[in-house]
Amino acid sequence: MPGGSTTQARPQGLPALARLALKLAWRDLRGGLRGFGVFIACLALGVAAIAAVTSVARGVGEGLSREGKRILGGDAAFSLIHREATAQERSYLASKGDVSVMATMRAMVNAGDKGSALVEVKAVDAGYPTVGDLRSEPALPLPGLLAARDGAFGALVDPLILGRLDLKVGERIQIGETSFVITGTVLSEPDKVAAGVGLGPRLLMSESALRQTGLVQPGSLIRWTYRLNMVGSAGPSETADGAALAALEADAKRVMPEAGWEVRTRANADPRFSRNIDRFSQFLTLVGLTALLVGGVGVANAVRRFVDTKRMDFATLKALGAPGSQVVAIHLVEVMLVACIGITIGVLAGASLPYVLSGALSGVLPLPLSPTIAWSELGIAALYGLITALVFALLPLGQAHDTPVSALFRDVVDADNRRPRRVYLIAFGLALSAMVGITILFAYDARIAAIYIGVIAAAFVMLRGVGSGIMRAAAAMPRSTWPSLRMAVANMHRPGALTPALVLSLGLGVALLSALSFIDASLTRALTQNLPERAPSYFFLDIPSARTAEFDQFATLQSPGASIERVPLMRGRVVSLNGVPAEQVKAADRFSWVLEGDRGITFAAELPKDSKLVTGEWWPQDYRGQALVSFDHDLAIGLGLKIGDEIVVNVLGRNITARLGNTRKVEWRNLGINFVMLFSPNSFAGAPHTHLATLTMPPSAKVQDPGQTTQLDALMLRALARDFPSVTAVRVKDALDAANELVGRLTFAIRAASGIAVAASLLVLAGALAAGQRARLYDAMILKTLGATRSRILGAYGLEYALTGLVAALFGLLAGAAAGWAVTTQAMNIEFAFAPTAAILLAGATVSIAVIVGLAGTLRILSKKPASYLRSL
Amino acid sequence: MSALIELRNVELSLGREAARVHILKGISLAIDAGEAVGLVGPSGSGKSSLLMVMAGLERADKGSVIIEGADLSTMGEDALAIFRGKRIGIVFQSFHLVPTMTARENVALPLELAGRADAFEQAERELRSVGLGDRLHHYPAQLSGGEQQRVAIARAIAPDPAILVADEPTGNLDEANGTAIVDLLFALKRERGATLVLVTHDTSLAARCDRTIRLRSGRISQLGLVAETVA
Repeated sequence: MPGGSTTQARPQGLPALARLALKLAWRDLRGGLRGFGVFIACLALGVAAIAAVTSVARGVGEGLSREGKRILGGDAAFSLIHREATAQERSYLASKGDVSVMATMRAMVNAGDKGSALVEVKAVDAGYPTVGDLRSEPALPLPGLLAARDGAFGALVDPLILGRLDLKVGERIQIGETSFVITGTVLSEPDKVAAGVGLGPRLLMSESALRQTGLVQPGSLIRWTYRLNMVGSAGPSETADGAALAALEADAKRVMPEAGWEVRTRANADPRFSRNIDRFSQFLTLVGLTALLVGGVGVANAVRRFVDTKRMDFATLKALGAPGSQVVAIHLVEVMLVACIGITIGVLAGASLPYVLSGALSGVLPLPLSPTIAWSELGIAALYGLITALVFALLPLGQAHDTPVSALFRDVVDADNRRPRRVYLIAFGLALSAMVGITILFAYDARIAAIYIGVIAAAFVMLRGVGSGIMRAAAAMPRSTWPSLRMAVANMHRPGALTPALVLSLGLGVALLSALSFIDASLTRALTQNLPERAPSYFFLDIPSARTAEFDQFATLQSPGASIERVPLMRGRVVSLNGVPAEQVKAADRFSWVLEGDRGITFAAELPKDSKLVTGEWWPQDYRGQALVSFDHDLAIGLGLKIGDEIVVNVLGRNITARLGNTRKVEWRNLGINFVMLFSPNSFAGAPHTHLATLTMPPSAKVQDPGQTTQLDALMLRALARDFPSVTAVRVKDALDAANELVGRLTFAIRAASGIAVAASLLVLAGALAAGQRARLYDAMILKTLGATRSRILGAYGLEYALTGLVAALFGLLAGAAAGWAVTTQAMNIEFAFAPTAAILLAGATVSIAVIVGLAGTLRILSKKPASYLRSL
Repeated sequence: MSALIELRNVELSLGREAARVHILKGISLAIDAGEAVGLVGPSGSGKSSLLMVMAGLERADKGSVIIEGADLSTMGEDALAIFRGKRIGIVFQSFHLVPTMTARENVALPLELAGRADAFEQAERELRSVGLGDRLHHYPAQLSGGEQQRVAIARAIAPDPAILVADEPTGNLDEANGTAIVDLLFALKRERGATLVLVTHDTSLAARCDRTIRLRSGRISQLGLVAETVA
């Protein structure tokens, strides 16, 4: 009897269904990957961006860890600010291993008539470098190059100094009270990374020479670093094990609790640098994720197109007895298999970047990059890719569930625009939540990741809305009598119009680029052009306490009309807050920096004029009670401090316990003197210290001819070097230029990562246009048949692309400006600068790209003869 | 004995709002097991729509469609798909083979969906029975129109359905191929004892059925023996 098979078993259970779906998906894939080009490229690009950033960051981390000893200059480094280690501390260190000493500070090089310049001095003992190699020109032993001869010590300098002061090797310079002869140039230092970013170029001298300069005074801003090669190390290549290092660190803190030294070990040579690498790589990862999400639009378009071309197959499968859910499952598996191809390409490209960088830029990279296959990071990049594919494929595929089988009888299956069933909406919601979850879970800073997600979601929703709005507006527009315009407008709102895809892909790309341009412009302006009216021109460091009045007189004489502000300056480290050791205090990154390393601190009897008291009371002029400290209000809140709380700081090897007396609002942006922590004067009674001064030119002097200003500056600096050889002058503009250069380097990396996002948006654009070519072909052939010239057809299409591109660019710029404004004013606390040139260029480029990419495909169509196409239409 | 297929007062409209068209208007009919029934009528009369409603491919707006005692209007979408897979074999005018699958895989597909372990062996047997034993591993694009329709027929009969429906099965074929396909359909119907319902414009094909149902403007205009309706 027919139908005897009613008892046959359908595949039961998830594994059987999954196996069947996999088998049928695989079978279908044998038909090739036609139509999946943009899909694969979008995923590959996004995943490659994330994999590359995280792999490079891991490579740098590995490099820091592997080369920790070279970067640190030993197994461990103990550094002190202001003071040298006591005999007791030195003997403790000597009991643990071989100790070499190094001092770093800022100082002025005086080259007589040729002027003076700020340098970063590094004074080393005979053992330097104990690990790694110092490269110099000439390549002679360092002790010889730094030794004294003919009444002058030797100094190695960064070639920049030679250029800046028009000096040559062999010429003499003055530092402090001592003469030096330039014996050569420094090409590379093994421990340069640990030194961080300096304000001036390097000058290397011997420790004994430093002692002769007169710069080593009580309270001078000198950092003394004692590098330790632990006992038991047979040689520089042999390293102490991690446990021994941890034990040493703990022992040093236990035995010398008041030393106030910062201890770093080979295993964690530069924690701040590592953290900064982590932060920056997280930022770049988010930019990479943007590329992936922009590419996601391409994924969705490709899947939609796939669904359209497969509609007949879906209907056939359903006619043969496959439930809608099974049809969706089979094709979801197929799409995810294709996604795996894109993801694999992306992972391979990303994983290879550290090797390429390390090979191609060996010796040029300023970072200790140690290429490695970062499995977990690559896994995360692949996971991002998979979830992106799932998020963007679920809804278009879900619509296939209800493909009407009856369409097989009509040979036409119309695009189904009904909402997918609830199960697919729930699955989409879950996949989206997973994406948000892993973005936040793997983020260095969950808050930034959450803000990023919010911004991206808002951009998607806004651009989606803009796309629909344009279509509605185009539909409502009066019919133009100009045929090309009428056709262009009609194309913008007809069913299946490219408008939403164009607006989304172009808009996201423009929004991202414009946000970066505005942030870049705002930063540059803040650092170079937009200095506040009352910003100082110079900072002067290490003014001896005994000569402050003399210095004030000197400054007034040298710069008549300039205002001089001067405060005592010391540096100290926060030891504990309310008894909780600083390293155990839980605080967000934007607050915890206060607890890391040493900070500038001062004391004052009166509230500084740029500050405003927020909570608590200011101490009386003649206050004699327990030490009190005033904290920046926002930082106090961030660190969980309230009035009366106990704060212990270590200054000059002494722990000072103070109570929080008040909090104040600090105006950081005027670049004046200000400190997070300001103590009551009695807190440091009798402690040796130096002064920090600012010199602010009157507004009239600032508009002088820049050449004349430079000349006056040079005269003043020469006089300063003569009268106050130990005082260091830092020109604010130079410091800002140095910062700007650093920002420029970081911006380059950000732009490179963003370039991938923009490439993804172009891919999406190309994919969307390709998907619309069938409709274009039909239109073009009909129009040609009816007598339209190619130029008229091209004109209509060009107009459509230009109009859509223009609207997308405008809204992209708006979104970018909003994001740029939020980042600059809310996160960076700087003034937002709208960059009109960049905006106009971006808008112009967007419209051009839309027209060029759009017409590129159309041109191909127009060269065809209508007859052959009309037969198959 | 009750009918294998029974339609009671079936109404069907398609399209939305102003474009909505009333296709089937109160159709009632019954088809017994083993019958061969031809649906005939002019274009737009509702033949294909009626076939779709019978095969559970289109849901009637009103009325009921009862196949082997089961009311299709009470079944969910997925239950209907499963029912169709087991009980109804469908042959399309445009074949609708999956282009990325070989003939053997196309025929095995409904069996695989039904969880049959012997899907491929059965598919090979079916293909041999329709004379395509030497075309097992050919893709649809490598087959002629007649061969593609044979594969489609093999696929339709592979699950051994009680009902075989065919929509203009010779519509895309030349005369010689068309005749061969019709011979094959009727031979298979006889062999397997299935009920055959087909839509056709071809009077000679309609003449081979036990009876025909003539439709006009969505209504049955004539119901009876072939000689009465085809004439």
